[in-house]
Amino acid sequence: MSNHITNLHFIYFNHMVHISLLDKKSHSLRNKTMASRRCVNPLTRHCPYLFSSNSPSLHNIVNKTAPLALPASDRLPLETHTSILPQFHRNFESLFYKSNSARHFSTGRGGHGKRGEEQDEEEYDDDDDDDDDEDESEEGELSEYSDEEDTGNNVLVSKRVPQRTYSLENKEQEAAAIGYKVVGPLDPTEQPFTPREPVFAVVQIGSHQFKVSNEDTIYTEKLKFCEVNDKLILNKVLMVGSKSQTIIGRPILPEAVVHAVVEEHALDAKVIVFKKKRRKNYRRTNGHRQELTRLRITKIEGVEIPEEEALAA
Amino acid sequence: MAFRGVWQLKKLVVSYCDWGGSSRGIRAFMETKLPAFKEGNPQLEVVSELNRGRHPFLKALYKNKNERVVCVRNLTPEDVLLHATRLRNALGRKVVKLKTRHVTKHPSVQGTWTPDTKFEC
Repeated sequence: MSNHITNLHFIYFNHMVHISLLDKKSHSLRNKTMASRRCVNPLTRHCPYLFSSNSPSLHNIVNKTAPLALPASDRLPLETHTSILPQFHRNFESLFYKSNSARHFSTGRGGHGKRGEEQDEEEYDDDDDDDDDEDESEEGELSEYSDEEDTGNNVLVSKRVPQRTYSLENKEQEAAAIGYKVVGPLDPTEQPFTPREPVFAVVQIGSHQFKVSNEDTIYTEKLKFCEVNDKLILNKVLMVGSKSQTIIGRPILPEAVVHAVVEEHALDAKVIVFKKKRRKNYRRTNGHRQELTRLRITKIEGVEIPEEEALAA
Repeated sequence: MAFRGVWQLKKLVVSYCDWGGSSRGIRAFMETKLPAFKEGNPQLEVVSELNRGRHPFLKALYKNKNERVVCVRNLTPEDVLLHATRLRNALGRKVVKLKTRHVTKHPSVQGTWTPDTKFEC
């Protein structure tokens, strides 16, 4: 099982490449899916990201391979279902299996004798693919790519350090998971900094919650994908209130929104981590400086400001 | 960084040596990255100084009259750019351990709770 899990990590980092590479061989491996079904569990646990249908590239591949996989002759009873879920299962099983069989350096799995069959099936698949949907040139390109790279790719990929490159959508997703959205740089002409209003909100950023009013500053863990002087929208608002009114979310208020501006990306004071064991001649000293982001709250939306109090304040 | 939209870093001094090996990275930085950095930060005055026989450093002068010096000897151009960006992104305040991560002048909106507080239901 640990072997599986390492494979899954492997797939997680390189799934873009592997899905294309692996999907083609799914047919010949269909009869072995029983064993691999058990592996779907750790896959879902470790890579929920793969299963979220938001990832567009994955979605495309799944959609495209679904018609491709249908004409297979030896199908398990599970796969006769036409719902989306088995398709997912099938794809991930095949995905998983191929990663095993494609690992030339590992012994005992996906023996060499089967390679010939797979190659045959692969060619058949390619033909099939071309016949079925000629207009999908993307799929064709993908399979060509994986053909070329079939032998060298795995070694290459496994050696490569996982580079984290984010697409725009990925960035937005990650930001939304933390609880903010980048609006854009602050225009020097606009003046969002208003004097204090008697309104507060409880807002969550990452795993920290802050009770803020406008004009407050808060220090959060460093927020990715935003520059100094960017405007942000914090959308995980748990509670808003004024002098006379309190609105509590269950757990968040979807219509309430807090606006903020990034003021500073800086390092916190140094923390010394000192470890020592008595009588063992063991001492380790490590320094750490945490990256922080300072936000200034500019506006709280979602609760009306009582007028007389606004005047008084 | 920018305090209420006003950039706090006023002047960045890039001191280097044209001969020394520890300045190799900063010389490459000044050729490749510094022009783009200057262009991206028009609010900033960037001065380069030649100090022969000295290790290179970046000196940042802030609006609140603080200054911060970062030694950049034997660093790659990317690391030097990172340090320059950090200096730009900072407010120039003294680095102290934060007592709280929430800074406010007006702590309470609804008033402090006391045992006498009655809720209207």
